[in-house]
Amino acid sequence: MRRAQRNLWGRTGGHVGLLAILAATAVLVASCSDSPASRNPPSSLDFQGEGSSIIGQEWWVQFALGSTVFLVVLGLLGFIVFRQLRRPVDLSVDMQEDPRWLNWIWIGGIAVPLVIISVVFAFSVRSMVALGESDEPEVLTVQVVGHRWWWEVIYPEQDFRTANEIRVPVGERVRVEVTSEDVIHSFWVPQVHGKIDMIPGQTLSTVLEANAPGSYRGICAEFCGLQHARMHFMLVAMPPDRFDQWLERERQQASEPQDDLAQRGQDVFLNSTCVYCHQIRGTAASGGVGPDLTHVASRLTLAAGTLENNPGNMAGWIVDPQRIKPGALMPPAELTGEDLQALLAYLRSLE
Amino acid sequence: MSTSNDAISTLERTWGRPRTILGWLSAVNHKAIGLRYIVTGLVFFMLAGIAALLMRIQLAFPENTFLNAQAYNQLFTMHGVAMMFLFAVPIMEGVAIYLLPLKLGTRDMVFPRLNAFGYWVYLFSGITLFTSLFFGTAPDGGWFNYAPLSESRYSPGLNIDIWATAVSMLEVAALVAAVEIIATTFIARAPGMTINRIPLFVWAIVIVAFMIVFAMPPLIVASLFLEMDRKIATHFFNAAQGGDPILWQHLFWFFGHPEVYIMFLPGLGIVSAIIPTFSRRPIIGYIPLALSFVIIGFLSFGVWVHHMFATGRAPLGMSLFSVASFVIAIPSGIQIFAALATFWYGRLWFRVPLLFVFGFIFIFVMGGITGVMIASIPFDLQVHDTYFIVAHFHYVIIGGVLFPLLGGIYYWFPKVTGRMLGDVIGQASFWLTFIGFNLTFFPMHILGFMGMPRRVYTYLPGLGWEGLNLFQTVAAFVLAIGLLLYFLNLVRSLIGGSRASDNPWGSGELEWLTSSPPANYNFAVVPTVRDLYPLWYEQTVLPEDDQAMSPDERFGLDPGRRETIGTSVLDAVPQQRMIQPSISLIPIVAAAVLWLTFVGLVFDVIITLIGIPLLAIVFLIWNIPSSRGWDPEYVSGGPPGSLPTNMVAGSMGIRTPAWWGMAFLILIVMVVFASLATSYFYLRSHVIDWPIGAIDPPDVVIPLVGSLVLWVGAVPVWFAVRSARKGNTAGLGLAFLAALLLSAGHIGFKVFELAGLDFNWATNAYGSIFWLINVAHFANVLVAIAMLLVAAYYAFRGYFTRERLDGANAVAMYAYATLIIWIPLFLTLYLTPYVWGSSQT
Repeated sequence: MRRAQRNLWGRTGGHVGLLAILAATAVLVASCSDSPASRNPPSSLDFQGEGSSIIGQEWWVQFALGSTVFLVVLGLLGFIVFRQLRRPVDLSVDMQEDPRWLNWIWIGGIAVPLVIISVVFAFSVRSMVALGESDEPEVLTVQVVGHRWWWEVIYPEQDFRTANEIRVPVGERVRVEVTSEDVIHSFWVPQVHGKIDMIPGQTLSTVLEANAPGSYRGICAEFCGLQHARMHFMLVAMPPDRFDQWLERERQQASEPQDDLAQRGQDVFLNSTCVYCHQIRGTAASGGVGPDLTHVASRLTLAAGTLENNPGNMAGWIVDPQRIKPGALMPPAELTGEDLQALLAYLRSLE
Repeated sequence: MSTSNDAISTLERTWGRPRTILGWLSAVNHKAIGLRYIVTGLVFFMLAGIAALLMRIQLAFPENTFLNAQAYNQLFTMHGVAMMFLFAVPIMEGVAIYLLPLKLGTRDMVFPRLNAFGYWVYLFSGITLFTSLFFGTAPDGGWFNYAPLSESRYSPGLNIDIWATAVSMLEVAALVAAVEIIATTFIARAPGMTINRIPLFVWAIVIVAFMIVFAMPPLIVASLFLEMDRKIATHFFNAAQGGDPILWQHLFWFFGHPEVYIMFLPGLGIVSAIIPTFSRRPIIGYIPLALSFVIIGFLSFGVWVHHMFATGRAPLGMSLFSVASFVIAIPSGIQIFAALATFWYGRLWFRVPLLFVFGFIFIFVMGGITGVMIASIPFDLQVHDTYFIVAHFHYVIIGGVLFPLLGGIYYWFPKVTGRMLGDVIGQASFWLTFIGFNLTFFPMHILGFMGMPRRVYTYLPGLGWEGLNLFQTVAAFVLAIGLLLYFLNLVRSLIGGSRASDNPWGSGELEWLTSSPPANYNFAVVPTVRDLYPLWYEQTVLPEDDQAMSPDERFGLDPGRRETIGTSVLDAVPQQRMIQPSISLIPIVAAAVLWLTFVGLVFDVIITLIGIPLLAIVFLIWNIPSSRGWDPEYVSGGPPGSLPTNMVAGSMGIRTPAWWGMAFLILIVMVVFASLATSYFYLRSHVIDWPIGAIDPPDVVIPLVGSLVLWVGAVPVWFAVRSARKGNTAGLGLAFLAALLLSAGHIGFKVFELAGLDFNWATNAYGSIFWLINVAHFANVLVAIAMLLVAAYYAFRGYFTRERLDGANAVAMYAYATLIIWIPLFLTLYLTPYVWGSSQT
C-alpha cells in the first residue's frame, strides 16, 4: 500500500489536462466558425418555415437549460476535484455515514432534474400544440411517394405528376401526404419542418408552410439502401402568382418538338427502352416506374437532387447513371453520339 | 488458520484443469470464461473501431471514392452490430462472469458448463459475422435492419440472413449468461451476504440480466418473422398482404432500447465499484443507487417508441413514451449526484481509474442532456436520423460503457494478471482518448443541425458539411491513438509490469481478498460476510481469523470435488452444497452444433434439418447423469452436520440450481410466446377484416378437443410429482408416459387440424401468424415430450429416489408450463376472431 501512495496525477497533471481541454475547445470553436461559407446549408436552425421556427424556439430553450445543467454539474465536479488536489494523500478509510448527506441525491439527483424536465416537457407540449394548430385551411395537397432513390410528386387536384421537386406557394399551408412504393424513406426539409416517415402501405401527412421564397433542400432521412446518400429533392417556395403560373404550365402536356433535331430526339426516346419506365404526357411514353419527364427541363436538379440540371449533366446521367449513382435502378442507355445529341435536344425542350 | 496445505493442493487439483489444448477447450472455470469474453470482446472492439476509421476516411471529403456504397453500408452496419452485440454486451458479461463469484465469495458460477457454452456460441457467431465481411456478404441493412428494406425483395443477398442468424445466436449467448448471472447471485452468495450487502456492481449486473430475459426474446421472434418472410414467403412485414413493416420496429425497439441500458448499467456498476476505493469511503446512497438501477430497468421497457416519433403514431400514445424518456433523467441524476456526494465527503486519491470516472461523468452528463432534448417529440422530428443522434448516443455509450470499462480494466488488471498497469502511459491514453473523443463527436451535434443525415456513404460538396467532416476524421485518429496507447499499456504490463499485491488499491470488496491472480478455487476458505465492504469492516470474519471451524468444514464442503455453498435468496443463509460439473468438451460441441443449425438457415435448410436432431442428441448427452450420480453415498453423503447436496435438497423444499435453471428457461419461453401473441394482436389491429381475405374464422371444436387432451395431461404430471415424493419410481415413470401419450395425442389433433386448413403461411399475414403460433407451440410440445421420455426412462431405471427427484421435478415444471402457455394461445387463436373479428359483420 505504501508503495502506491504517490499521487501520480498531481497538480501539474491536472493543470496540463485542463489546458488540453481548453485548447481543444478553442480549436473546435474555431473550426465551427471557420466552416466554409456554404451555398445553401440545409440547416434546421435556418428557420424558413413555420414548423422549423416553432421547433427552433424550443431548441434554444433546451440549449440554454442544457448548457446550464452541464456547466453546473461539471463546475461542481471541478470544484470538488480542485479543492482536494492540494490535500496530501490519505489512504485511511473513513466509514462515517450521515443520512443528511443523502440530500445531495434528493436535491441534485431528484428535485432539480424533476423541475428541469418539467420545464422542458412544458416547452415540448407548447411546440406540439403550436405545430398541431390549424387556424387556416390548407390551400393545396401534394402527394409524395418514396422510391429507391427518388421522389414521385403528385398534385392530385391538378392531376399531374412530377419528380424530385415540390413547388409550393410561399406563406400558405400545404398538406403533404407521404407514402412509399418500396422501402421506408423519410421526408425532411430541415429549413422548413421536421421529418415524417414514408411507410409502404400507409399514408401519413404533415403540413408545410414556407415563410420566404427560395429553394430548400429536402433529404431522405431513413436509411433506404444503396443510394440513400443521393436521395434529395428541392422544395421551391414561390410567390403565389408565380406559383399559379408554374402550376398552369406544369399541367400542360409536353410541348411538341419544335425542330428536326428535337423531333429525332423524340423518335429516339419513343423507340428506346426509356418508355418502359418514363412518362412524357402527350406522347406514347407512359411508363410509371421512373420519374415523369413531361417538364424535365424546367427542374432544378437531376438524379434526385444530386446534379445541377444542365445539358452536360443530363447527357452524363443518360449515358451512365451507374457512374453517378451506383445501384440506381436506371440502366445505362446505349446511344450513338448523334442520337444522344438529338435526345438531349428533345429533353431540353421539355420545359 | 484451519486450511492446511493439503487441503489447498486438493482444492487446486479439484478446480484446475489439464494444461493441454483439450483442457483449454473444455475449461469451465468462470475466470477462464470471463477472461475469454473480455479478450474476445476487445478484439471485436478493435475490428469495429477499424471499421469506424474506414468510414471516417470515406467521409473526410465530399464525393470521396475511398469506399463504395456497398462497402460503406456493410461497414456501418458491422460497426453497429459489432459494437453492441460483439463488444458492449458480451464484454460486460465477461467482466460480470469474471468478477461475480469473486465479489460474491464463491468458487464458480452455478452453471459452469452453460457458461462455457454461451462463450463458444458468442465466439462462433462473431467469427461468422466478421468472416462474412471478407466475402462481401456482411449485413448491410443497418444494425436495426428495418423491414421491408431487409426483405428478400429489396435485399436478396445472404447479407441479411447472416444478420438474422448471427444476432439470434448472440441473443442465445446473452440469455444463457443472464440466467447464469441471476441464478448465481440468487443462490451462491457467501454466507452472510444479505440482500443489503450485495455490491452495487452486482445489483447492476442482475438488473441487466433480467432486462436481457425480457428484451432479447422479442428480437429472436422478430428475426424469425424476417427469416420466414425471406425464405418461405410469409407476410409479417408485407403491407400488401396484411403485414406491417412497423411491427418490425416495435419488436426491434422493444429490444433495442433496453439494449442501450443493458450496455451501460454494467458501466454504472463498475463506476460504483471504483468510486468508493478512490474516495476512501463507502459510496453515499447505496439504497437510492440500487433502486435507481431497478427503476432504469423498468423504465427502459417504456421508452421504445421514442425511436419511432417520425412514424406518425397516435400523438397521445407517443407523448407517454416521451414522458417516460424524460423521466429517465431522474435515476441517471441519482447516479451522478451520488458520485459527487461521495467525492465531496471522501478523500480523493487521484489515480487513473478515477480519471476514467471523471471522463465518464463529463461525457455521460452531456449525452444525458441531449437525451432529454430528443425525448421531446417536436425537437426529435428535426434531429432524428441526423448526426445529432450519432453524437448523442456516442456520448451516452462511450461515456456509459467505454470509459467505465477502461477504468474498470485499469482497476482490476492487477487482480486478473497480478501486474500493475503503467501510470504515465495510462494517463496519456486517458487524455488522448478523452480529447479525441470529444473532438470527434461534439461537432456531430452541429452537423446534425446542418442537415447531415446518418448512414450516408458520401455527401455533396457545397452544403457546408465539408469542414466539420474533415475535422472529425482527423480527431478520430487522435481517439484511435489514445485507445492504441491503452492497449499498448496492457501488453507492456502483461510482459513486464510491476508485481501487484493482493489488494493494491486498498479496496473494500471481496474480490480483493483473493490472491492476484486468484487461484482456480478463488477462496481457500469461503468467507463469511458482515458488511457491504467486508475488507474495510473490522468484524468481518475472514479466513485469517482464528476460527475453530472454517465454513468449508462446518458445512461439509469436500475439497476433493467441485462443491460450493448454496445460500438463501434474501438472507444468504447456507442451505445446500452445490456439486458442480467438472471440465467438459460438451459445451463447445453443443455450441458448434448450434452454430451449424443456425448457419444452415443462411445456406441450406437441409443443414438445419440435420442440425436440429443433432442438437437434441447433444443436449441429451449433456444431461446424462454421471456414473457417480447413481451412488447414494456421492449424492447424499458428507460428514455429520453437513449441508444436503443440491441433488437431494429439492426434496427438502430448497430451491436447487435445477429449479432456478428450469424456472428461467420457462420464463424465456413464455416471453417468446408473449411476443408471438402480441404480434398477433398488433397485426389484427391494423387491418379491417380478421381473418384477412377469404379465410373463415377458425373452427373451434377439433382444436378444443385436442387442447383438452393436452390439458388433461396435468393430471398424470401431478401424479408423477406425487409418486416421486413417495419414492414410487414405477408410478413416476408410468405417469410421465401417460402425460407423454396425451401430448402426442394433442400433436395428432394439431396435425389433423392444420392439414385440413384451406390456407397456409404464405396466404396472407393472418395465415403467417396463425401457422407460426401453432407450429411454435407444436415444437414446444415436442420438447416437452422429449423431456418426458428421458425422465420416464430414468424413472424405470430407478435413478430417481425419494430424495433425489430434482430432474423429475424440473421435467414436471416444463410439462406444466407447456400446458399453461397453450391456454392464452388457444384463446387468442380460436376465440378472439369471434369476439373481435371482421368489422364488416
